[in-house]
Amino acid sequence: MAALLALLVALVVAACGGTPGSDNDDATTAAAPAASDTTAAPAESTAAAEPTVQMDGFESLGPVELNVWSYDNQDPGLMPVITELTKQFMAKYPNVKINLEFKDFNSLVDTVNRALASEDGPDITEGNQGYQIDAAQVKAKLILPLDPYIKAYGWDKWWGADTNQIFQWTEDGKTFGQGPTWGIAQTGQNVGLYVNKKKLADLGLTIPATFAEFDTMLADAKAKLGDDPIFEFGNKEGYGTIHFIGGLQGAYGDAQPLRDWIYHVPGSTFETPQNIQALTKLAEWGKAGYFNEDYNAVGYDQAAAEFAKGKGLFFVGGNWETAIIKAGLGADAGMINMPPGESGKHVGVGATSGPWHISAKTKFPDVAAAWLNYIHSSPEAVDMMYKALQIPAISGTTPPADDPFLGEVTASWQQLVSDGGLTLYADWASPSMYDTLAKYYQEAMAGKTSPEDAAKAIQADWTKFDAELKAG
Amino acid sequence: MSAEPVELDPTARPGSHVSRGGAPRRRPTGRAPGEPRNVAWLYILPGLVFFVLFTFLPLLHAGWLSLYQWDGLTVGKFVGLDNYSQALSDPDVRTAFLHALQLIIYYSVLPVVLGLALTGFLTRHTVRGFTFFRTVLFLPQMIAGVVIAQAFVWFYAEEGPFNAALKRVAPDEWARGWLGDFDWALRAIGSIGTWVTFGLCMVLFVAGVQKIPTSLYDAARVDGAGAVREFLTVTLPGLRYELVVAFVLTTINALRSFDIVYNATKGGPGDETYVPALLMYLNAFKYNDVGYACAIAVTLAVVIFVLAIAVNLLADRGSD
Repeated sequence: MAALLALLVALVVAACGGTPGSDNDDATTAAAPAASDTTAAPAESTAAAEPTVQMDGFESLGPVELNVWSYDNQDPGLMPVITELTKQFMAKYPNVKINLEFKDFNSLVDTVNRALASEDGPDITEGNQGYQIDAAQVKAKLILPLDPYIKAYGWDKWWGADTNQIFQWTEDGKTFGQGPTWGIAQTGQNVGLYVNKKKLADLGLTIPATFAEFDTMLADAKAKLGDDPIFEFGNKEGYGTIHFIGGLQGAYGDAQPLRDWIYHVPGSTFETPQNIQALTKLAEWGKAGYFNEDYNAVGYDQAAAEFAKGKGLFFVGGNWETAIIKAGLGADAGMINMPPGESGKHVGVGATSGPWHISAKTKFPDVAAAWLNYIHSSPEAVDMMYKALQIPAISGTTPPADDPFLGEVTASWQQLVSDGGLTLYADWASPSMYDTLAKYYQEAMAGKTSPEDAAKAIQADWTKFDAELKAG
Repeated sequence: MSAEPVELDPTARPGSHVSRGGAPRRRPTGRAPGEPRNVAWLYILPGLVFFVLFTFLPLLHAGWLSLYQWDGLTVGKFVGLDNYSQALSDPDVRTAFLHALQLIIYYSVLPVVLGLALTGFLTRHTVRGFTFFRTVLFLPQMIAGVVIAQAFVWFYAEEGPFNAALKRVAPDEWARGWLGDFDWALRAIGSIGTWVTFGLCMVLFVAGVQKIPTSLYDAARVDGAGAVREFLTVTLPGLRYELVVAFVLTTINALRSFDIVYNATKGGPGDETYVPALLMYLNAFKYNDVGYACAIAVTLAVVIFVLAIAVNLLADRGSD
């Protein structure tokens, strides 16, 4: 018995040990001295690191193996694009072997931080904006700042400063939208208004130029549609509302305050007339029966599929649903942004696709950067993305002329970019914000919580986390 | 792990007469000293090792982590019991535990009552092909929670089979997307639990009834007992231990339920189906708040222990 007790005590000590995370941290800094060097360099003085970037001639490195994690696992979608471009890259450098591992979004983001901290995590991975993933990786020094590569490859010419902001974090992982740049992304993803053009024409309706007229038109459409919902909607996961509300927020203001709020710019609040009016409108439309009744039990993608089968007049959803809607509605499919409010500027939820990061532990960061450059900007990359119905994030690209629907989808993204109307995703504002928004948007939409109380509760989550950020 | 079994002497606990100072006195028992009792430890050693390694130590580790504010990556900060006081004042945690208690009705009380009723019926009537039905009713126990959840998402959908059946017997307005309905989501989740655990309870009880001497039933019938009387005086007391097992197992299932909720509703709509294990998962994997997640986990474990012990105590008292 005594021996058993001793054994137990020994195991307990081993199990509990010292402060959690202390050994991880040692491993990170020990394994990646180069990483901590670049991390320590302030963003402005990265020129010093520039000469060290090797952009070609990787043949001399001997065998190079890179493991890549991606949640772009859709086919049709980005998966075949990334796979094909990687084949081309490997053909260019026969000594480079790239192992692509595609996962679904949740299984990647729920494990990637711990994988990067381990000894056999990915060399390159997609992360996710916000404090759960990107900020945690920056803070724990798990990923490299990309500023030397941005300089070397000219990635800063791909998009404007406000797009670049979504990849920026201060090195303590506390301030979003400032500091070094930690990622780049392939495609532009925005939520827009998919239209069943045939149904709209059959009802004798056209989409007006302003939100107020649009709202009036909906009442007319409701009377004509009967049981068929105006908006086919799926909110089982809770992000349906988070996406939907962007167009309503745009009716009552522009996107800048919404972005400031996400970036925790001092003085920002969710309790603005803009947000409360948007929530009021959402509840009003809910009460008026503009949505399919079971929207909280229907998944987002499932709603897109229903819309593609002909249910509903509109579907408010991400441009990543283009493939399924095109397959279902064909020439009847259209996409626009929600008609704007008084400013005339279009607003919608959206940002780029997931940010690509380079692990601080990789032995070949320069090869990793070259691969990233290739899958984003090689001449084939842009064409292949359009062919896969993905909108390149790099500005100034033109979609193929023979696909008018894809042209509309592209125009929707480009219009939001040029109007400065991307609201980003409000759930980036705090680690628990996704669940907070999902909960209170659902309740506000169902009339269970007043718009004011919902805004107040959402702001309370923000304030609590804001205090944590400041407290350290 | 290679501890000498001889040293693992269960009688060497403090206060026991052997361990008091001086040479061990001769035991007054007639049993041979040493060996046989020590051999008992050898038998339970494999199980014990697994229990210690994969249940007991992780539990202690979770308890240890619950004292830290830790994001799972960088160095944690010791915060003492702060996570626990935060959990006690967190309205989401309170909601989740209240939901878990409600789920006990669906996961535990209803299946036990249904199982008992069916068992009572079966003690008086023979059902042809009962072995087949028993197997079918037990099947849900063997299906993964993810699969069950997916099946019920379809079953409960606005245009799913449940509503189709309902519309035949009730007004159309009654039909709805049950898992997305603020008033019905938790009940819909609970009903899935009833469906899953009912078979387990019934199999336990039917097996238990078989060890009740038939002479007791004969005696009851000779005394003129009806079905209800017979059930209350013979079947129910005879099933006391099966009842304890059924209550403990199903209550634990109710309190720690996660897979069905996660796959069917993700806690929604609103917070209508938040359960403690879901909050635990969200905090550990979504909010990078591992310490807080562990505090919720430890609290949940304590609640489960207390309830399990309470059920056992009640049963013991009943047997006196």
